[in-house]
Amino acid sequence: MKDISLVKLLPTHPKVPFLNLRLVAAVISVMAIIGSIFLFVNKGLNYGIDFTGGTVIELDFGEEPRPDDIRATLAELGFGGGTVQNIAPAATENKTYDFVRVGIPLQTETAETGATAQQDALRKVQEGLRESVGEFRVSSQDVVGSKVSGELRTKGMLAVGLALTMVLLYIWFRFEWQFALGAVFALFHDVILTIGVFSLTQIEFNLSIIAAILTIVGYSLNDTVIVYDRIRENLRKFKKMPLTDVLNLSINDTLSRTIMTSFTTLLALTALYVLGGAGLRGFSFAMIWGVFVGTYSSIFIASPLLILFKLKRGVNTGAAKD
Amino acid sequence: MLYFSKWKTLFIIVALVIGFLFALPNALPKDVRESMPGPLQRTINLGLDLQGGAHMLLEVDITSVVEQALENERETIRQEFNDAGRLRTNNLKVDGNAVTGSFRNAEDVARGMELLEKLSVQVDPTGLGGAKTTKVEKLSDRNFKVTITPENIESIKKRTIDQSIEVLRKRIDPTGTTEMTLAKEGADRILLQVPGAKNVGEIKDRINKTANLSFNMVRPESSSEAAMRLAAEGKLPPGTEYFLQQSGGGLIVEKRTKITGECLKSSSEGLHPTGGYPIVNFTFNIKCAKIFGELTSKNINKRFAVVLDKEIITAPNINSPITGGSGFIEGSFTIESARELSLLLNAGALPAKLVIVEERTVSAELGNDSIQAGKIASMIGLAGVAIFMWLSYGIRFGTIANFALLMNIILIAASLSLLGATLTLPGIAGIILTIGMAVDANVLIFERIREEAELGRPPVNAIETGYRLSLAPILDANITTLIAAVTLYFVGSGPIRGFAVTLAIGIVMSVFTAVVVARLLTATWLRRKRPKTLPI
Repeated sequence: MKDISLVKLLPTHPKVPFLNLRLVAAVISVMAIIGSIFLFVNKGLNYGIDFTGGTVIELDFGEEPRPDDIRATLAELGFGGGTVQNIAPAATENKTYDFVRVGIPLQTETAETGATAQQDALRKVQEGLRESVGEFRVSSQDVVGSKVSGELRTKGMLAVGLALTMVLLYIWFRFEWQFALGAVFALFHDVILTIGVFSLTQIEFNLSIIAAILTIVGYSLNDTVIVYDRIRENLRKFKKMPLTDVLNLSINDTLSRTIMTSFTTLLALTALYVLGGAGLRGFSFAMIWGVFVGTYSSIFIASPLLILFKLKRGVNTGAAKD
Repeated sequence: MLYFSKWKTLFIIVALVIGFLFALPNALPKDVRESMPGPLQRTINLGLDLQGGAHMLLEVDITSVVEQALENERETIRQEFNDAGRLRTNNLKVDGNAVTGSFRNAEDVARGMELLEKLSVQVDPTGLGGAKTTKVEKLSDRNFKVTITPENIESIKKRTIDQSIEVLRKRIDPTGTTEMTLAKEGADRILLQVPGAKNVGEIKDRINKTANLSFNMVRPESSSEAAMRLAAEGKLPPGTEYFLQQSGGGLIVEKRTKITGECLKSSSEGLHPTGGYPIVNFTFNIKCAKIFGELTSKNINKRFAVVLDKEIITAPNINSPITGGSGFIEGSFTIESARELSLLLNAGALPAKLVIVEERTVSAELGNDSIQAGKIASMIGLAGVAIFMWLSYGIRFGTIANFALLMNIILIAASLSLLGATLTLPGIAGIILTIGMAVDANVLIFERIREEAELGRPPVNAIETGYRLSLAPILDANITTLIAAVTLYFVGSGPIRGFAVTLAIGIVMSVFTAVVVARLLTATWLRRKRPKTLPI
């Protein structure tokens, strides 16, 4: 069989002067970060019950649900703060009607109501809906008490903090401190912007989003490390070349790989977003966003920062480990 | 980089074949799978979010158990002192983790302290072979303090949890046929997982009932209107308790009783011999049968109350002595509630109250929908990535990369089956994400080979250099993601752990398939064809 490369999809020797755009990128990023923080402070996140506690049930009434009736029943039972939302069935299901997702806010666990407050509320709502709206099948039911949600919140923050620290220790161990610091800034940039986008869209922020953020951290760092690795190599190879040119060269050297990998990852994630069902939509949305932000930050944040941190050529070339 | 010894080649091929064999059962129909040899029957464990079922985290109210133990300790001391010939105390009470009090008479101190020391070894009948369960201290003058040792508190806690798990197992799975998980979690919690649970409400009912059964004599005060009025306000004669009746109203009963749930040998639902309505039959063990026989002989024409979880089910009159050690409880039962009660009585009482602090229930239908959606998304993702790789790197290298990708997925499936790891919905997301990211290592290598070839290196040299120079960045890049995945595993909970597992396995396998398997394929191709130009 004759081997032919059908298409060379990308130009083989790109010469994009990325570093010339670093000021523009810096302005954009700083504005985006300020915007994200502003949104986070003012609008906050739409936390799921993993973090707030409370109850979410998904019901299948066997017909198109009547959200207004359900809302009225909730109000009647004293759960006015409850939420009702229709959910379209996944493409793979042959259902012609929606599910309905009912949220019951966290019930305060006083001495009177006891620790069973959430379960009592759930029972009341189920009985009430059966009586006044109609018979249904429970397709899922999540109840999280205040103690557990508090623990999940702590654990989630701990996970992100711990992962960031560990990963940075590794980079510090493998590269010069300027690289480690550059990677930190890029990662914080990515995490903050992801939180910002969740604040803006008000997509539910739950445990799986924490998982997505950690994966974004891994992915973005993956990208950064590849570029850094090439920078280190080129610094050794072209001892006389100005730092800016070395950075530009390295980014361009790895550009086709960056685009290829981002593209295949986006391909898989888009399939997940469109076909993976409602349960994974938030996660895949976060990841898709993360691929963009992570790729952007490797090129426009992590690399230019090396100039800012005054990466020393002599020391670096000598100290390089391999 | 391109030389593989015969042994190494063989090892890689064997690893791939083994991986394939262990992944295979997942793709086979059940009847075919069951005819395979033992180790090859293992399939990926589906999480409750995929197969449907109930996941509950129960918190055991251990504080109340320790409080009860202290209360018992106080009561034992009081009784022992009483039995030992009017050894009087002042102010005997539970204070924190201890029982404190003082002897009324100075001459009792020596005798009393000796008695307390003796009790210290005995208080806990199931305590470990005579180990001290309490610390006895003489404070000042006539004051004493008996502290339950931290070891004993620990063992009380452990026993409470173990016992709760045992009782729950009998209650939820009386026939021992359900595949369920009951495990201790943290200091005071129990994790309960019931796959495919249909009636979650029933399970909850069985968790919520403590099922503390006792037969208490009804006090004559119960027929006095004045006493009953006071009782309802909480003013009770000493040594009595006031319970509400299922049929309405309340009764004052003796607090102390020797007939408790522990007396039961067995119980079953049945029908009343003459009335035909549902009842619960019970049989006492020999010891309690004797006690009950004596009790009923002494109290003809008085009433006793059958108390379950502080509620009186029934309070029959004793017409004749019951010496056979068996009888029945009649209340306003339906057949179901009689069956439920006898099940609870057979399983025994929970040593402490359980609270459901977290619940996640998914129906089997929704779980199945998730699996189907995951399958389709992976197929589409896989096909997209494969086509893209062919377009970018041509037939030869595209096929090598895609073979590595396919092996990667097979090895993930094999690892999950072999490790008995649980695949959850986020775990499926992890696999799909891996499909997208797994080609990264091969992309890195191929791009590098292209570059080196363009620098004018001959094919073998370019490939050799490409592999050599890509190794460090590939490892660096993947180790960082692996660190994130491992952190997620240790800090995350439930389904998120499933995601961390598939992601971590996916990373390790993608490095293996790209750096080892794909390299072997490339090397074999180079040796056979000795190409003059690179088709990349």
